[in-house]
Amino acid sequence: MKSVVTTVVTAADAAGRFPSQNDLEAVQGNIQRATARLEAAEKLAAGLDKVTKEAGDACFSKYPYLKQAGEAGENQVKVDKCYRDIAHYLRLINYCLVVGGTGPLDEWGIAGAREVYRTLRLPTAAYVEALTFTRDRACAPRDMSPQALNELKSYLDYAINALS
Amino acid sequence: MLDAFSRAVVSADSKTAPIGGGELAALRNYVAEGNKRLDAVNAITSNASCIVSDAVTGMICENTGLIQAGGNCYPNRRMAACLRDGEIVLRYVSYALLAGDASVLDDRCLNGLKETYIALGVPLQSAARAVAIMKASSTAHINETNTSGTNPVETRFRKMETVQGDCSALVAEAATYFDRVISGLS
Repeated sequence: MKSVVTTVVTAADAAGRFPSQNDLEAVQGNIQRATARLEAAEKLAAGLDKVTKEAGDACFSKYPYLKQAGEAGENQVKVDKCYRDIAHYLRLINYCLVVGGTGPLDEWGIAGAREVYRTLRLPTAAYVEALTFTRDRACAPRDMSPQALNELKSYLDYAINALS
Repeated sequence: MLDAFSRAVVSADSKTAPIGGGELAALRNYVAEGNKRLDAVNAITSNASCIVSDAVTGMICENTGLIQAGGNCYPNRRMAACLRDGEIVLRYVSYALLAGDASVLDDRCLNGLKETYIALGVPLQSAARAVAIMKASSTAHINETNTSGTNPVETRFRKMETVQGDCSALVAEAATYFDRVISGLS
């Protein structure tokens, strides 16, 4: 799993040297930003169910055709799976906020997603809408501090760009 | 390879649960104690050559057979290999301490080390003893409880001169990484 610390250690190990001052400074920079990241992760985890519900509702209200027969949300079981997937992306974003990098999204969310959605004939536009709604709905200081929100939005944007 | 943060992510993913409350408290502690951790890593890396040579010297003093003909630190070529291995072990311990997780030590250093040493005829007991001495001197350097020893005119003695504080948690953590090496060798 890629993070600042593992990247630094991998580079030091490849060169066969002890962690240098540069390495320690890189980790220190990461630690300084960590407070905002962890705040965003905590707030997102606490509100995960609510955020998922709002995002999913926004998605189905923008694309009501999804609930017609033969579409991705034609029955309740399939609708539930849509909400589950949104919760899945938000959970991965929670992980990214903890690690401080896009590793979890890359490895467990984005890798292979295009192929899976094409096979299952699912529209990625619906996921983009759900995540975009979440991004625009979140606001500071109601939900979290501005710096934390900034971190959260950067990962939401990353997921949106990957699915667009 | 994992660090404290990605370890939390991997274990949360196995439960498909987001990371909240309890797990975050431990990570916040890593962040709050971050500077101490970096100082601790620095205490090891800045004194690495001293720690390693001291450990190998101590190991040989306790068992002088090692440097007699037929011993495993005779001739210089094997002594050099011994010093090199000491430095490698200490280097991986410093990585683990920086990451706050033992996975880098396990994956890249200890995995197969015992089998390699058995195949090469390296005495495991002596290797473990050298690691134990490295543990003692590393933790003393981190905690700044190192002393000049019994020699009254010791000139190489050095303290890190960092701000004094409670480093007991980090000392205990570093000790567990050394213990991991020792148990991996026995």
